[in-house]
Amino acid sequence: MTKVGIPRALLYYQFYPMWRTFFSHLGADVVVSAPTTKSVITTGSSRVVSETCLPVKVFCGHVRSLVGQCDYVFIPSVCSLEKGSHNCSKFMGLPDVIKAVVPNCPPILDPDIDLAKGKRGFYLALYHLSRPFTWNPLKVKAASEAAWQSHLTYRDLMHNQGLVPLQALAQMGLEPEPDFHEPGPATMTIAVIGHPYVLFDEYINHKLIRRLQGMGVRVVTAEMAGEEDLALSLKKLAGRAYWTFEDEIVGAGGHYLERNVDGIISVVAFGCGPDSLMIDLLQRQARKVPTKAYMSLTIDEHTAEAGLVTRLEAYVDMIRRRKNSV
Amino acid sequence: MKVTWPHLGHSDIVLKSLFRDLGVDMVIAPPNNKHSLTLGVKHSPEFVCLPFKLTLGNMIEGLELGGDTIIMAAGSGLCRFGYYAKVQERILRDLGYEFDMVTTALFESKIVGVARLVKRLSGGAPLSKVIAAIRLGLAKLSAMDDIERAVHRVRAIEINKGIATKLFQEAINAIDYASDMSGLKKAKMDYIAQLNDVAVDTKIDPLKVGVMGEFYVVLEPFANMDVEIELGKLGVEVKRSLFVSHWTKFSLFLNAFGVTEKEKTHRAAMPYLKRDVGGDGWESVGEVVLHAHSYNGLVHLSPFTCMPEIIAQNIMPSIKADIPVLTLISDEQMGRAGMLTRLEAFVDLLHRRRSASLAGALG
Ligand code: SF4
Ligand code: SF4
Repeated sequence: MTKVGIPRALLYYQFYPMWRTFFSHLGADVVVSAPTTKSVITTGSSRVVSETCLPVKVFCGHVRSLVGQCDYVFIPSVCSLEKGSHNCSKFMGLPDVIKAVVPNCPPILDPDIDLAKGKRGFYLALYHLSRPFTWNPLKVKAASEAAWQSHLTYRDLMHNQGLVPLQALAQMGLEPEPDFHEPGPATMTIAVIGHPYVLFDEYINHKLIRRLQGMGVRVVTAEMAGEEDLALSLKKLAGRAYWTFEDEIVGAGGHYLERNVDGIISVVAFGCGPDSLMIDLLQRQARKVPTKAYMSLTIDEHTAEAGLVTRLEAYVDMIRRRKNSV
Repeated sequence: MKVTWPHLGHSDIVLKSLFRDLGVDMVIAPPNNKHSLTLGVKHSPEFVCLPFKLTLGNMIEGLELGGDTIIMAAGSGLCRFGYYAKVQERILRDLGYEFDMVTTALFESKIVGVARLVKRLSGGAPLSKVIAAIRLGLAKLSAMDDIERAVHRVRAIEINKGIATKLFQEAINAIDYASDMSGLKKAKMDYIAQLNDVAVDTKIDPLKVGVMGEFYVVLEPFANMDVEIELGKLGVEVKRSLFVSHWTKFSLFLNAFGVTEKEKTHRAAMPYLKRDVGGDGWESVGEVVLHAHSYNGLVHLSPFTCMPEIIAQNIMPSIKADIPVLTLISDEQMGRAGMLTRLEAFVDLLHRRRSASLAGALG
């Protein structure tokens, strides 16, 4: 069977169920790269210029680990997911960068996903994407529908059952059950804001979410808020969406600033372009809501685990003291 | 109302001409300088790209001088630049300034949209007058570009270094003062003639080096530490295809040459970068392929953390073209000495390569 490789990085955390279903329906075998490790990051970083953002370095390492494991790698160029907003340059140029920097990279399946240009182009892109597997448009249609269904299921698990991506993927049988230790009764709620590929790659963030849970924190993320709520908060804070994933940063931040949470942590990957601006907007807004403790963390390949843990503990302690004193 | 705007190379000329013609009050912030940079850096997010910091610095200085209406480009497809205004407006308000922020989507709008905006700012001048003023402004821009091309050529081979740069400064002023098309034409002819008369060493066959990259740092001499003047001092002829007049779509449509030039660059980039990545990344890759045989080298300018140019930088080494590329990253440190050392070493390398290939061809 033809093997399609999917790097466990970047949009994996948002779209893996959809992609997997699509390729399986076309009769392909889907291979996912193993979770991030030190060597994934090191190989990734060594291939690109040092200014490149951490998530792209990580992505590059994952593709590297798929070399020899599959017949194709799937790296879409995601330009826009709706009219008016655009993605970060690095998502658009991702397949081209990978082709340039990963030696012996298997052929790349690189559809242009540009929904701002309308549905027709999107369907054509899907059809082209399917060429190595089938010429039958009906088969492509069936695969797309099934893919969309599993995306809805995935999203539903997160919105309605409050699961983070790793847990939702486990529920769908796509990932081993994460050993989230059932946190005891939570004593506070903290919203963690960041791109899913930063928040849910447990290696690069040193298990940030799990650690917080271990400290008795109930963690909420953008995934658990309703899409309309995010869109509304985004509109209030920054007007019409400019970036494709602005809702998961500015929207989610604004949303939780108005909800019953004790604090907000934003987690930014070093070298992230859009976040340099979006997080600034969020920070400015947070200053106007002093009742919510706000902390911003930047993560790069050298972030030391110990330092991060110390900061988290101090932050949680501070909130605890604050809560006890009222 | 007093309008003010952030600088971008010589684009001031257009707005100045426009607002003068229409009787709109304006405040021109001092050209980019150490102080405006420091101001911008102080109030900007740490990791935002340099053009954000510089334009914010200009805005603060413009407001301090009494400006109350800021004009800024915005709109999609501009990478972070299209988002600048949103954040800058917030920053300025948090600093306590009161002003209007007028954004214009230069990349999308037809000339009509811009005309409407200008009409509004002018308090309702007749559209015919607005269009005439815009036309004069744009004509000034393209006159400047023509003069700049001549400057590039002369700078490399002039016998007394610095004359071309001085004439260029004078030409900018003369063009700025031209009040109608015929005055403009005269000023342009005059300076082109003067440039042609500059004493040059015709025996020199200067190295040709393309200057390309992210548009703001390419077009704003302060941001690139006058790299073109420095190359000229080293006897290098600068070749550049990015001009302010290409920057806006509506002037592209006045300038069909610009369109085909861009398309040619994109086609050249295709084997390595198949799509637009925002900003100027696509063009940067294309220029390497396109000019591999016509230039001796390329200087690639990029602001620190610039996303599209990071893409380009990652792709460039894979290009199968035998042309040296020197990437210079602009950040707020403005390390001029370091830049000069690298530039000199690069030019030396290009000389050696040329002699070697000449020797090879002869022997
Ligand atoms: S959004 Fe930020 S982190 Fe994600 S790819 Fe772009 S620059 Fe990198
Ligand atoms: S192209 Fe580069 S410098 Fe310009 S806005 Fe984008 S990241 Fe900033």
